Amino acid sequence: MNDTAELVKNKMSGGERRKRTSRGQGWEEAGAEFYQESYPADVDLEVWQRDPAHIATLLPSKQSRAATSKRVRGEVKPTLRRRTSTRSRYSSTARRTSTAHDVHMAMLPDLSENLSNEERTWEEIMQIKAMPVSMMQKKEMKAKLQTATKLRLQGFEQLKWQRRKVWQQMKSRWKETYSKLELWRHSLKKIEGNFGTGVVAYFLFIKWLMFLNLFIFLFILLFIILPTLVLVPQESPANTTLVEECSRNYFNLSVDSSFLDWVQGTGNMERTIMFYGYYTHKLISEDGNMHSYYNLPLAYIAIAVIYLLGSLAVMVKSAAQGFKERLVEGEGQFYQYCNLVFGGWDFCIHNEKSASMKHKALYNEMKACLEAERLEEERQNRSRDEMLKLMIMRCIINLIVLMVLSGALALIYYTFYFSQERLNKELLNPNTELEYLYKFILEFLPSIIIVCLNLLVPNMFAYLVSFERYSPLFIVRITLLRTVLLRLASLIMLMFSLKDIIICDEPDSCSCEDHPKCWETYVGQQVYKLVILDFVTHVLITFTFNWPRMLIAKYSKSKVAKFIGEQEFELPKHVLDVVYSQTLCWLGSFYAPVLPLLAMLECCLLFHIKKFACLVNSRPSSTVYRASRSNSLFMVVLLISFIVAVLPVAFAIAEIPPSKSCGPFRGHLTTWSVVVESFDQLPAWIKSIMFFFGTAGFAVPIFVVLVLCLYYFYAVSAANKQMVMVLKNQLVLEGHDKQFLLNRLSAFIKQQHEHQKVMRQVEMTNLDLSNAS
Amino acid sequence: MGQGKSQFTEEELQDYQDLTYFTKKEVLYAHQKFKALAPEKVGHNKNAKLPMAKILQYPELRVNPFGDRICCIFSSSHDGDCTFEDFLDMMSVFSDGAPKAVKAEHAFRIFDFDGDDMLGVTDLRQVIDRLTGQQHLSEQDMQHLIQNILDEADLDDDGALSFAEFEHIISKSSDFAK
Repeated sequence: MNDTAELVKNKMSGGERRKRTSRGQGWEEAGAEFYQESYPADVDLEVWQRDPAHIATLLPSKQSRAATSKRVRGEVKPTLRRRTSTRSRYSSTARRTSTAHDVHMAMLPDLSENLSNEERTWEEIMQIKAMPVSMMQKKEMKAKLQTATKLRLQGFEQLKWQRRKVWQQMKSRWKETYSKLELWRHSLKKIEGNFGTGVVAYFLFIKWLMFLNLFIFLFILLFIILPTLVLVPQESPANTTLVEECSRNYFNLSVDSSFLDWVQGTGNMERTIMFYGYYTHKLISEDGNMHSYYNLPLAYIAIAVIYLLGSLAVMVKSAAQGFKERLVEGEGQFYQYCNLVFGGWDFCIHNEKSASMKHKALYNEMKACLEAERLEEERQNRSRDEMLKLMIMRCIINLIVLMVLSGALALIYYTFYFSQERLNKELLNPNTELEYLYKFILEFLPSIIIVCLNLLVPNMFAYLVSFERYSPLFIVRITLLRTVLLRLASLIMLMFSLKDIIICDEPDSCSCEDHPKCWETYVGQQVYKLVILDFVTHVLITFTFNWPRMLIAKYSKSKVAKFIGEQEFELPKHVLDVVYSQTLCWLGSFYAPVLPLLAMLECCLLFHIKKFACLVNSRPSSTVYRASRSNSLFMVVLLISFIVAVLPVAFAIAEIPPSKSCGPFRGHLTTWSVVVESFDQLPAWIKSIMFFFGTAGFAVPIFVVLVLCLYYFYAVSAANKQMVMVLKNQLVLEGHDKQFLLNRLSAFIKQQHEHQKVMRQVEMTNLDLSNAS
Repeated sequence: MGQGKSQFTEEELQDYQDLTYFTKKEVLYAHQKFKALAPEKVGHNKNAKLPMAKILQYPELRVNPFGDRICCIFSSSHDGDCTFEDFLDMMSVFSDGAPKAVKAEHAFRIFDFDGDDMLGVTDLRQVIDRLTGQQHLSEQDMQHLIQNILDEADLDDDGALSFAEFEHIISKSSDFAK
């Protein structure tokens, strides 16, 4: 078959030449010559009569694919002549145009003086990898290339080429060492083997967050903590302002410390670098003389802005990649079924159990897709009554959800007030053990309530959503949305209830009655408590609640036990856990600079805890999680949480007056005023430039230019879409044409064959007759 | 690493490194894995040809529904028995270093059960059947699914997917990094 194909190809090129000259004759005659020459009548005609579609395999588009693997065996040299596309030579577009080129190649004289130089030979060798042939053939090709005569490069070109080789080698060696150093590589491979790449994306996300927190903490360490520890504040003048007095009172306050201070951040821990209150509001320098000084307040706020903007930039970059892929997919259409079938199997799985689960998952997903389609059709065909009933049901459920959310928020608010009241009035001096315990519980009560709500309410949402009869994909999204709302709303509520305690403006005394002297540290402590409690909850739930469940399911045979015990590794819930802890970190970092370090350690431990939950407690999920979809989901949720976390901090910086007793901003009107004052100290020309950026003369033209750019890109994309539609239709038409021509051709060949048979029979009878007579 | 290295000359290792997407260490590692499948046979001849049954004992291939197809595609004698070089080729294409185009090319060959260079209805049917494992889709579902796939991917409407159409889908799919 292969030889025939080669023969046919050569003949076809010759036939084309012939066809051009014989255009004057009728179609039938030229066609007959053409086909007679190209299709040896006897041998292949039977084949075609058996299967007329066989002709399709002789088409140029098929020939070029078969020829690629054969061509490289035979003639490597002629292909070197193509200088234009050395890099993409073996890509599919080259394949399609190669037939025309081969025809030319066959017709041109053999210019074997066209030698290549060393560099190009080296490039050729590097590209042998991409060819779909066996290793033996690749080795032959490489040997042939290496022994072929080639020019040596001279001088500067030689240098450039050597450098390129060395650079390539360095790159591959660097990649090798980097992959060795990758953190937790072994664990990730194990998870991948058992659960697939979707779940691994989640663990990579945790690792990414850990590194983000590490960088934030390094920033804070370098620019805020180290200068505070190393350098000395400026000596204060003798006159005592209110600020100085309050500060002295605050810092000399003696508090009894207990072991619980570690968890709460109170007592001795309060006036350390862990919290905002410790940092001085004066300029600091090496020896107190102000020759060269370091402006700590400005640094404090500048670093906060920098790391928040940096986190935002990194997240947007990550999300944009996923978004770009989504857009590319959505440009034509989203290939749901194709991706499922062709990209569905995870080739990293090496475990029988996971493989069978994967089979089941794929089966479920296929059924789900088909089911979704059926539901869509059903949805289109819903009668008006049904629609009305469904709408009412959905409204009711949404109302219930809103009520539940508001109830939860109100509960948090009142709990907070209740605990504050009790703490301030009754338990200022706890005496007995019981009172200590009571005080401890009250301190943690708001956090405990939040954690309980986060555990219970999502289950309720999952139960309610089944009444709304949405499509499965939408169910997942809306449940996720509601849970995210719950978590973020509870945080906002906490901040809100704190606001009443914080805002209080009494110009004459250090702070208001019953209000904390240093409210920023107080806020920092609350967030610190929340972080610790969150982490402890994770540990407790994984080890003391889910692990026994798994053990029960494993070792007992009853159905009830299986129902309680079997859990799946549900990705959205775990994603929310991680995102929540990161939100707390961002929220509290301004008031407790040590929080990123804690968050980093927490991420590290969370990785191992979640790994335990994944590998030991749960069995593989029955839904197919795709890595790319998961990544964009994580980033979007993280972005939303980031915005929610930054808003209260931004509000506090801009509006709330800093406390007079502590912190780098004591004495100023608002925290932001430090920046404004430093800005006023800049030279005049910088100030005028900055002011210019704010004026209308600059903003309006820029705005107009941006709108024009946007419109231009939109127009280009619309035109491209139109082009794609046109080309697609053209392709379909060409396909139909091809089918038509092939059918016509096979009918014609059959007709020819019949005709020849008849002719031969007539000849035979004539011969017989002449022999007989 | 010592014993493995003594089986290959420097030149051979350099060849392998140039012709696959692996570094020298990875090539030796792959040889270790290959040897683990049949220690005595490979010990005698480092490029020994192992029968398909032995190759399919490799963990990832054993549970892979397309394991036998993979062996057939990469086997130089086209009957499923692989030498070490074929095995190395196989691992190289599946590694992270191989570009999407190379993977698409080989994936097309793997999915093309009847070898006619097109993914026709029978090919798709076999692919889906193998993917669902123990469970089987009903005939109606199967036809519906195949029809959906062809609707999405078959651009010239000829009832089968050519390589160009397949590659077009793969280039748009971001999940294809195996």
